Order: sequence, then C-alpha cells, then structure tokens
Amino acid sequence: MEQLELLMGGFANALTPMNLLWVLIGALLGTAVGVVPGLGSAMAVALLLPITFSLEPTAAFIMFAGIYFGGLFGDSTSGILLNTPGHSSAIASTFEGHRMAKSGQAAKALATCAIGAFIGGLIATTLVVFFAPTLVKMATVFGPAEYFALAVFAFLAISAVVSESVIRGIAALGIGLALALVGIDGPSGTARFTLGMPQLFDGISVIVITVGLLALGEVFHVASRIHRDPAATRIHTKGRARLGLADFKKALPAWLRGTAFGVPFGLIPAGGAEVPTFLAYGTEKQLAKRRNDPEFGTSGSIRGLAAPEAAANATAGTAMGALLALGLPVSATAAIMLAAFQQYGMQPGPLLFERSGDLVWALLASLFVGLVILVMINIPFASVWAKLLSIPKHYLYAGITVFSMLGVYAVSSAILDLWLLIAIGLIGFLMRRYNIPLAPVLIAVILGPMAETELRRALAVSEGDLGILVDSPITVTLYLVLAAALALSAVQHLRHRTNRKA
Amino acid sequence: MSITQHQSEAGSATEPNGKPKSSFGTGRSELIVVAVLYAVAISLTIGTATMHVQGKSSPGPQFFPILVCIVLYLAATLLAIQILRRPNVPDNTIHPGHGQFSPDMLHDLGHLGKEEDAAYDAMPSPAQGKTWKTYSDWRTVGLLLGSVIAFVALLEPLGWIISAAALFWLVAYALGSRRRIFDIGVGLLFSAIIQLAFGAALGLSLPSGFIGAIL
Repeated sequence: MEQLELLMGGFANALTPMNLLWVLIGALLGTAVGVVPGLGSAMAVALLLPITFSLEPTAAFIMFAGIYFGGLFGDSTSGILLNTPGHSSAIASTFEGHRMAKSGQAAKALATCAIGAFIGGLIATTLVVFFAPTLVKMATVFGPAEYFALAVFAFLAISAVVSESVIRGIAALGIGLALALVGIDGPSGTARFTLGMPQLFDGISVIVITVGLLALGEVFHVASRIHRDPAATRIHTKGRARLGLADFKKALPAWLRGTAFGVPFGLIPAGGAEVPTFLAYGTEKQLAKRRNDPEFGTSGSIRGLAAPEAAANATAGTAMGALLALGLPVSATAAIMLAAFQQYGMQPGPLLFERSGDLVWALLASLFVGLVILVMINIPFASVWAKLLSIPKHYLYAGITVFSMLGVYAVSSAILDLWLLIAIGLIGFLMRRYNIPLAPVLIAVILGPMAETELRRALAVSEGDLGILVDSPITVTLYLVLAAALALSAVQHLRHRTNRKA
Repeated sequence: MSITQHQSEAGSATEPNGKPKSSFGTGRSELIVVAVLYAVAISLTIGTATMHVQGKSSPGPQFFPILVCIVLYLAATLLAIQILRRPNVPDNTIHPGHGQFSPDMLHDLGHLGKEEDAAYDAMPSPAQGKTWKTYSDWRTVGLLLGSVIAFVALLEPLGWIISAAALFWLVAYALGSRRRIFDIGVGLLFSAIIQLAFGAALGLSLPSGFIGAIL
C-alpha cells in the first residue's frame, strides 16, 4: 500500500494553513461559477491561470482542485430553481430536481445534489488513488503509434460520436487543429503560419483561445439575446438544506448507482459528464417504473435527482486520474487542467508521477480536502449560493469581460494577444449561434501538437510505412472500438431521422 | 420535440410570429461559418505552400498542415451542402452545451419520453407577440464589439484603471444597465481593486498610461 503512504505525504503538504486557504478560495470560486449559468470551471481555471502565475505550482493546483469539483457542485442550482439548466452536465438533474422544487422541496433537492456530488467525487477520487499506479504502468508501454491512436480516439469521440451534428463537430475539430499549428515547429525549427511576426513564434497561447471561446464568446452570445430572451421565474428556497434519515436512505442506493455509471466515463473521452448523467437518469426512471414510484415524474423523486448528480462528479473524479496518469483529457475542463500543467512546464502522463510526485499527491489529497470543504459550504449555505442567480446580468458579464482582458493581458503583456482574443471571441459567438460544439476545439488545441509529434515520430521510425499505426494490439483495439462507436451513432442518427419523418 | 434541440424543417419554417417567410437567405445565414472555414483552410494552404522548410526531417513540417487542410475543406463543403439542402431556423431555447451532445443519443440513454420534453418545453419561451427582423440583437453585439475594440486600442495610452472602468461601464450599458452615474463608480472601483489586488499583490504589470507618466 505504497499509495496510502504517498497520499499521507500529500495530505501533509495540502493541510498547511496557507494551502487550506487556497482550497477554500478555489471551492468558493468553483461553486460561484457553477451556480451562474453559462460559466463553468473550465473558464474559471483559464482566467485564473495567467493571474496566478506568480504562485508556486502546488498552491495554484490546490486552488484549481477546488474549482474543478466546485463547478459541479453548483451547476444544478439554476436547473432546480429556474428550470433552465445552466450547464449541459445539469440537464439530467433538472427534470426531477425542478419537480421537487415546485412541490416545495427545493432545499431538500439542493442538499441531495451536494451530498450526491460529494459521494460521487469521493468514491471516484479514492479509486484514482489506488489505480493511478496501474494506469501509469499501462501508459509506459505506449509508443508513438499508441499515443497517436489515443489522440485520434479523443478527437473523433468528442467531435463525431457524441456531438449533435457530425459535420459541425469535425469543423470545430479542424478549427482547433489549425489554431494549434501556428508557431515554430519543434522537430524542424520551421516557422509556420506566423505571418513573420515574432510574437507568434511561440504559437497562440492556449489561454487566449480558451478565454476567447468560453468567456468572451459567451458574453457576445448573451449580448445577442439579452434584450430578447425572457427572464425565468425563480423558486425561492427557505431554510437550511437538510435531508432526513428516511430521505437519505432512499437516496443512498441511487447515489451509488450514479457513481457506478460515472466512474468508467472518466476514462473515456466522451466529453465529460453528460452521457453518464443521462444513463443514470434513465436507469432511475426504469427502476421507478418497475416499483411504481408515484413521485417520479410528478412531485419529483429524490432518486431521479441523486443518481445523475453523483454520476457527474464521479466522472470528474476519474477524469483526473486519466489526465494525470495518461495525459488524456476526456472533457473540455480536463483539457484546461492539462493546459495548466503545461503552463507550469509539466507534462501529465507516466513521467509526471516520477518527476513531480510531490505535486501530484498533494493535488490528489487536496481533491479530498476540496470535497469536504465544498460539502461544508454547500449544504448549510445552499440558499445563499442561490442568491448569485439574482446578480444583475449586466454587471456579471461586464465583470467577466474586464476579467478576460486582464487574464489575457497577463499572459505576456502583449496587445496582440488582446486582438486575437477578440477575434477568437467572435468565432466562439458564431459557434454558439449555430450550435457548433466548443469542446472539440479545446481538445484539438491541446492534443493537436501531441498528435502531430507522435504521428511524425512513428512515421519517421517506420520510414513512411503507414502500417506502423496499426501494428500493435493496443492501436488495433482503439481503432476498432472507435469504428464501432461511430457506426452505432450513425445508426442512431439515421433511426431518429426516419422516426421524425414518419 | 426533444430536450436540447428545437429546429424546424425548412418546409414548415415560420417566423416566431407565425408569418411564413421564404427568401433564399432564410435559415441559411450559417453560410458565414462556411466562409470562415474556407478562409481558415485557404490561409493554411497558402501558408503551407509558401513555408520556408528548415531541416530535412521526413515527414516534415508541411505534412500535418496538409491533413488539417483536407479536414477543413471537407467539413466546409459538406456543411455548405447541408445548409443549402436543409436550412435551419434558429432555435429559440436555452441551449447549454451548444450542440456538443446529440439530443437523440441523450434521449435514448435517458429513456426520455413525452414528460421530459414537456418539462423542457415548459421553460420560459421567447415573448409572444414581439418579433424582430434578425435572430441576434446586432445592435447590442455591435456595441459590445465596439467597446472591446476601443478598450484594446486605448489600454496603453489611457492606462488600466481608466480604460477598464470605461469597458465595464460600456458593457453594462450595452447589456441594459440604466444607472449610468452609479455605474461609473462601480467600474472605477472594480478596475482599481483589480489594479491593487493583481498589480500590487501578485506582481502583474498593468499599463499605467498617461497618469503613470505624470506621476
């Protein structure tokens, strides 16, 4: 049980008063961006990255750990109280959650969410601690061809398998890959697409791209609709969020079932928590039908809310494991965390545990600390957090605009970065307007350079023979699974299209 | 129809006020995305063709950009064909995730039925009786775009505190704040706190502008 010792060492690092303060700040920020619709932990981390650059890496990552889970603690509040999910990870919890709120159980619904998020995150993080070394061992047998296959898998899974429109997903992927190409090419030293500008030799900063797409793009989108979309009516919560023993007993199996759905999806690049939350909701719905649960679909069943909530955080927990051990980001948020490591000069993957073991274990320990703090600030103060929904939108988005400018200017004090930010913000607006997914852009920007390097390395070894790409059982399996997933989703798209016509 | 997407087919396309409208442009404004994709693809092609390749590694630095170009041209062309054949009417619902997930897939996974769709449709829908010529509010977007451009142009001459406060004020105004005098104070306070917290405490160097030059 070497892991336990290392984890204890991590706790010793994470539990200093200063680091506890960073977790607390992270947890507060994370919950705040989770509660407010349209923001999210990916955006929060991207905005804070350049600003926190003068901190030592451990402190910064401890704070990011709080933000990472915090974004999922608050995300259902808007769905439950307003019936307008602010994040796609919260759609599944909106159905039963809002019904509970309408039947006067809003506080109970919020408590169910917080405890569900806590349980899912706790179990998944524990699994990561025990299985991370196994994942690392697996990753050490990966060569260039395997890494390239992994990147292709992530690209196509996010852009084609799960997205609404395959063409739009691939288009988003192409934009991301193109943005990642700008700069000096590492292996040959060739300047690519820099237009002769020395400021572009290092490439377009990931922070500029992320803040542009997620923050400024969202502000443009809100601006395009703010005078037209109706205001939602909010259900007010009274009193403290609490769960009685009977409710707890009722919800516990659902939390555990949700966690079971969430855990494996942290390792699959399927874009994050949406697929497992819907799976968990669907299962609860079937179970409720079988046991003739009168609450489900009428006054709101606590189980139908508990399962998706636990699933979402369980996915986030194991996603951290895939990120640290394999260097594989499975969702947009994980991709930004990977970018954060790169900003500090570290590359997640098998070597990270050797080279920066202290930091990794402190980060894992602070995930636990963060969960405890989050549940402590979420259950008693659920109604207080809900008040964030009544901040006037114009101040909120004015603040976000100023913060985006600050964050991007802080990267390298370059005005050029700000012009790029505006251009990418407009692209982000166009993409939102036409429902083109944003996640493939972020994944492509972050995994693109890795995919290119590994592909060229593999082909250089084989002297141009493409056969090397499908030369090992691992690569063949990855491509076969990918092909099967693509075929399945094609069948599904076609079946629904014929149904709609009929 | 489904939980996250509400789009009508071209044949039954009606404007929110129920008035059928059918010019060529209806539902085809997405062609601007096609234009952006082609622009990116063409500039990549030119950049790849005119690249001063260093070294003799094989595959060289032009290899991957060629693959990306192919992907972009393909996606742009297919998207154009799709838009021309089946124009989209903008969906008016709140759409978290923006197309990242196939609603059909989520429908199947979640065993969703009419109840969920009904619950989703019960969400506030755009005000009835009032219609606009365009889906997007271009006046507000334009105001916002103007504010950020002005901010970037004036950041160095004016310094952080003044330009950030002006940006805050302009964005709040564009998004509908009507307390103009009060907002000047809020903006100045906000930018000054940032200057103090991040400039003084965390050591970010923010431009001080002409005020810094006078002091």
